[in-house]
Amino acid sequence: MHLIKHDIKIDESFYKIEEIRQLTNETFSLKLPRARFAFKAGQHLSLGIHGDYQSREYSIYSGENDENLEVLVKEVDNGYFTPKLRKLKAGDLVEIHGPFGKFGMEAKAAETGKFVFIASGTGIAPFRSIVRTYPEIDYTLIHGVRYANEAYDPHEYATDRYILCTSRDQKGTYHGRVTGYLNNCTFAPETHFYLCGNSDMIFDALEILKEKGFERDQIHCEVYF
Amino acid sequence: MITNNNTKKVAFKTLGCRLNQYETDALVTDFDEAGYKLVDFDQSPDIVVINTCTVTNQSDQKSRTVISQAARKNKDAVVVVTGCMANNFKEKLESQDNITFVVENNRKSSILSLVDAHFSGEILHPEQLPQDVFRYEPVRKSLHTRSAVKVQDGCDNFCTFCIIPTVRGRAVSRPVADVLESVRKTIENGFKEIVVTGVNIGRYEDGESKFEDLLAKILEVPGDFRVRISSLEPDGFGDRFVELFSHPKLMPHLHLCLQSGSEKTLLRMRRMYDVEQFRKTINQFRSVYPEFNFTTDIIVGFPGETNEEFQQTLDAVAEFNFSHVHTFKYSVRKGTRAERMENHVPEKIKTARSAQIRELSEENKLRYYQSLIGKTQNILVEKATKTKASGYGDLFVPVEFQASEIQKNTIHAVKLTGLSGEGEKLVLLGELIEV
Repeated sequence: MHLIKHDIKIDESFYKIEEIRQLTNETFSLKLPRARFAFKAGQHLSLGIHGDYQSREYSIYSGENDENLEVLVKEVDNGYFTPKLRKLKAGDLVEIHGPFGKFGMEAKAAETGKFVFIASGTGIAPFRSIVRTYPEIDYTLIHGVRYANEAYDPHEYATDRYILCTSRDQKGTYHGRVTGYLNNCTFAPETHFYLCGNSDMIFDALEILKEKGFERDQIHCEVYF
Repeated sequence: MITNNNTKKVAFKTLGCRLNQYETDALVTDFDEAGYKLVDFDQSPDIVVINTCTVTNQSDQKSRTVISQAARKNKDAVVVVTGCMANNFKEKLESQDNITFVVENNRKSSILSLVDAHFSGEILHPEQLPQDVFRYEPVRKSLHTRSAVKVQDGCDNFCTFCIIPTVRGRAVSRPVADVLESVRKTIENGFKEIVVTGVNIGRYEDGESKFEDLLAKILEVPGDFRVRISSLEPDGFGDRFVELFSHPKLMPHLHLCLQSGSEKTLLRMRRMYDVEQFRKTINQFRSVYPEFNFTTDIIVGFPGETNEEFQQTLDAVAEFNFSHVHTFKYSVRKGTRAERMENHVPEKIKTARSAQIRELSEENKLRYYQSLIGKTQNILVEKATKTKASGYGDLFVPVEFQASEIQKNTIHAVKLTGLSGEGEKLVLLGELIEV
């Protein structure tokens, strides 16, 4: 007969919400204790609501060394999950699993490389995490939103590194879509591109970058749905 | 090993992937060494173990059918259901009266302990079994000629169609030393061919050792054996991986999962590569090894797949000349991101697209097999009669040849002379060069 060792395991996947930061009418961030959650900037996690059977994936919005773990959430009209997240309050429990994914770069590359981050909407989340983790990183962040007031925490980025593309008002750095801005840009040949956001933006941006002669190995994608 | 059940009979049924087959083989070894007798389902087993699959709706359906048949035919047997469907539908299966135990994947390796405990009157719940996805002993007694060696489990890719990260869990890699020990023992147990397997083996990582490092070490294990790689995601490997195939032990075949030839579909699937990268890999291999055999998986009818996108897949299948395409009609898996996508493709269109891919795949196969006539392959014999033997060559192509007194699990050089059968049953015919 085989001997069975009975392990006692404490469930470490539940986190108490510390704060909900309202960033725009539709978008907010959930701040959680970081506890023992270790991750690499750019990774995502799976978030569930205590008592609900569904979960969703969110890129981590905070830096590796920040006091809190933070995710960025945009409420989807008539969605199943985000309206429920919206109703949560400080003190409520959420279930976290992860971290997951390979989106991001090694610390050494972050110190020496040249990067262009291209985001649509809440696709900015992994880039905030990267910039907070590597404050000296050489980057340009191109962020596409509809209106300028959807620029989440814009003051955190150096003004000469942050390009806000607004498609429905003219208050951004560039009026139009991210892809329109990209079309008119030139980049150093050694640049690495990180794309995060909806699949149409990523597909179009990929095509533009490939046409500009960049290798697919220089282009890293994280698709949001 | 102590057991008081050496007269008990056990039957196994496996559905799904090569990893599942390996895990069943390892369980067969466990039960055999503990004195259980291995029998078929219709030979009144005392225990039936069903290792299920949940990758598609069809897999669920097959798993359910096997469970109910096994339970109906063997009313007094202990019925153990394990595998991915056991994870995906655990509560539902636990509520079925015809199932004795439902064992999740991460506890599968301890099924013998559970059964032993049951027959000695101990009340043991499957959740009390240890969780260890690499606890399997090297295969000795097997249902197959070649043995897999598990190097990795789980996946963190979260492709939008895939339930596997949910049912197999996060990616974990088996330590290099354990893998090498398992390879040595498997060879000592008499296997001539090992298959390096896992859920996403390209992402193998044990400290500084990546998949290519592990593979290089496996190839240096002394002994007369050959190595294959089970299905692989087409990203994350470079020139060194290609070079490793010049090693005489490493067989020139890869099952490289393309899934779609459309860039847009690949993005919606959240795959980690594009068609151009895939092309580069295929061309790189074929520039060095012109006969290299590629097979693949294709999903047809993924949500939003247009006629144009499907045509791009047809074009890719034709261009890459896969000798076999495992075609899946997209199947909704609950809880995946693709479940919530718009524009699901009607079943009728999926069926038609699936037939088109299959037809093209058979044309590819015929052309590829024809190109091998006149060449020599080393066949690992899987079946042998008094006059005939069959098995798979280095390129993982099926070959039949005339021979007498040939033993199973031996390797023979065979000159390829022709073809027999058609479609899925197409095989190469050959003449034995040496005995």
